[in-house]
Amino acid sequence: MAALELLGGGFLAAFEIWAFLTIVTGLLVGVVAGALPGISFVNAMAMALPFTYVMEPTQSMLFLGGIYVGGVFGGSISAILINVPGTPASLPATWDGYPMTKRGEAKRALTIAVTASATGGLVSALMLAFLSAPFATFALKFSQPEFFAATLLGLVSVIAIAKDQPIVTMVSLLLGIAVGTVGIDPLYGQARFSFGVPEMESGIRFVVVMIGLFAIGEVVDLLATDRDLRPKKTGGKAIGAKLADILGVKGAIARGTGIGCLIGMIPGAGATPGAVIAYGIEKQVSKRGDEFGTGIDEALAAPEAAKNATTGAAMIPLLTLGIPGSAATAIMLAAMMLHGVNPGPLLFIMDPTMVYTIFAAMIIANVLMIGAGIGVAQMFAFLMRTPPAILAAFIIVLSVVGAYGVRNNIFDVYACLAFGVLGWGMKRVGFPSAPLVLGVILGPLAERYFLTSMANSHQDWTVFFTRPISGTIMAMALIFMLWSLAPAIRRLIRHIRS
Amino acid sequence: MTTRFAKTTLSTAVLAGALAFGGAATAQTYPDRPVGMIVTFGPGGGSDVMGRTMARLMEESLGVSIPVSNVGGASGNAGLTQLRTNPADGYTIGTLISLTVASWASGLGDNKPEDFEVISVIQSSPSFLFVPANSPHQTAEALFEFAKANPGAITVATSGYGTQDDVTLKLLADAGVTMENVPFQAPAERYASPIGGHTSAIYEEPGDVGQFIKGGQLIPVVVFSDKRHPEFPDVPTSAELGIDISGLDNYRSLAVSAGTPPEIVAKLAEAVATATASDDWKEFCSSTYTCITPVTGDAAQAMVRDFRALIAEQLAN
Repeated sequence: MAALELLGGGFLAAFEIWAFLTIVTGLLVGVVAGALPGISFVNAMAMALPFTYVMEPTQSMLFLGGIYVGGVFGGSISAILINVPGTPASLPATWDGYPMTKRGEAKRALTIAVTASATGGLVSALMLAFLSAPFATFALKFSQPEFFAATLLGLVSVIAIAKDQPIVTMVSLLLGIAVGTVGIDPLYGQARFSFGVPEMESGIRFVVVMIGLFAIGEVVDLLATDRDLRPKKTGGKAIGAKLADILGVKGAIARGTGIGCLIGMIPGAGATPGAVIAYGIEKQVSKRGDEFGTGIDEALAAPEAAKNATTGAAMIPLLTLGIPGSAATAIMLAAMMLHGVNPGPLLFIMDPTMVYTIFAAMIIANVLMIGAGIGVAQMFAFLMRTPPAILAAFIIVLSVVGAYGVRNNIFDVYACLAFGVLGWGMKRVGFPSAPLVLGVILGPLAERYFLTSMANSHQDWTVFFTRPISGTIMAMALIFMLWSLAPAIRRLIRHIRS
Repeated sequence: MTTRFAKTTLSTAVLAGALAFGGAATAQTYPDRPVGMIVTFGPGGGSDVMGRTMARLMEESLGVSIPVSNVGGASGNAGLTQLRTNPADGYTIGTLISLTVASWASGLGDNKPEDFEVISVIQSSPSFLFVPANSPHQTAEALFEFAKANPGAITVATSGYGTQDDVTLKLLADAGVTMENVPFQAPAERYASPIGGHTSAIYEEPGDVGQFIKGGQLIPVVVFSDKRHPEFPDVPTSAELGIDISGLDNYRSLAVSAGTPPEIVAKLAEAVATATASDDWKEFCSSTYTCITPVTGDAAQAMVRDFRALIAEQLAN
């Protein structure tokens, strides 16, 4: 067991005082940044990049790894407490986490979320440590047709998530896909729907749409309806999670973790599709699937486990092949290159100490996350005791700063405010806004995977079905779609008969 | 009427005077506050690493901090539009790279070479065709022979249509070597595709795939340049194989908005020259195979103008 021995060495190195402090600092930076709407863990890692210049190569990876792990979870704190996903991957946490907060179960929701996230992350870090080499070869089998099929599965999951209203959901999703086409198309360089506005040529970023629809829309609604955002008192003291609650969702956590580990390894996918697909599958598997969206434990646990399970998995292609699987790992690649470290098969031979210290750090970070997550959540809970008007002002300022920070462009602020008005309107008439956001995220991905696949197969569309992995995922997507539409189809048939 | 006219004239004169005076004062005391660096691509890419390394090195000689902001989108045009519309006072500098210049030729954005004053072209590298280690065509001759006999059977991973990559493949096709352009938007996916056996080859500059070359996963077979690359002396140029393709090198430069006072441009050029002479920079550029003697002044400006014209001409064919 050379791997175990090396990992032991890695733990020793990671527990050295400076290394350990670096992990903790990164973790806290990540959780706080992730919890702030508009500052995703990717932004936080990009902002942290210059600070890693002065660090040792290994230390810089520990710092970025800490931010990554903490940031992916942190987004769920604001998602659960104020219905604003701090990062896109925490979107599903708003669907069932926020209803729990409204019932006065914020603490219980947070405990379930952080436990699920930490478990997912830990399993994924262990997988990274022990199965990197064989999985790396598997990851390379994935190419554009597989990415397309996986993205399609994500899009289908969105319909599966819908509660009894597949038609409006599809309209919302298609609207999102349409918004996603704005700007210069990825392959031919043609400007679409830009109306001659130069800023529109760069497209409309999903972060801007998300902040607008959720943060601003929610706040305007909050002020318009004069609602009290403070969690309702439930017989004096807040309901915490009991061990039984955690054990009750162990199946959901296991499924979420499995899905997250698989999706995370696929270069290009990442935490958001992982969480959404896990939510969709859990809805179909769970006995309480029909109640999803009203604050169900499983519905919160599965996507939480999945999104953190992508963190370790995404580092497998990075470290073993030098191929970053997501924006976050691309920044890690940049940090390694800045220090003259070339990730790839050679790294395992040339510098195993570094590799195994990173592995150990990922494991430690996930364990420490439970404490860091709950600590930061306390801070946030304190924030929520402030009057709604003051809180609303803070959320709007953070949102506007977040929208501007996406690419330092004032146009994004205007777009964000426009989507805020739209979000408020949609909320008022009960039109679902989450599918729209997912359309903006997944639509452009599906488009470019499709176009590249077609270019690589002499424009033969059967490539999506004849390749074994791609064909399997496509079949899954089809079954998933029929499964989730079954009640609606049955209703339709009954309607036609009568 | 007269009074109002007089007032307007007077205030215009005062304003103009203030501007002129202000301008002179700015040039003399420049820089007396932080200089913003706009990196025109997202974090983690070649431009980002170049911009951040340069900002760090220039801070030393300019004596002010240089905060970096990534303004990505539209092949670098989003950031350049911001650079162009900011005051031409030298307090905003940006990265300008050949990919963006090529995008102007294919009609993207509304930026023009004359909108910018190039401070210095500091990195440049020719591109290569690389094949994966297990490719059946281990030399350019074998690859080209196969492509001639089986037009379109060889697939090449590129960064898109209407780019230098596309122009190179079109020129090869004109010479009978017809290969299929498979555009990948995300660099990581582009690099993974030949290594995973999904495309036959990849068109890229060596700095971006350095770790794959060192790891033996990608093998350079031909360089599109008028001479062999000093780091890869065994790799033939395309001209040696009878197809002369050159002048399409990927270069990266730093630029300011056109109309920036010449004294300020001179100060910036001096700071860039000091930075590029440092050991830090030399180590950085050699690790990315992009070291050149910096090109400044009119020559740099001409480089951008001519490159745009060259790509436009090739795309029109």
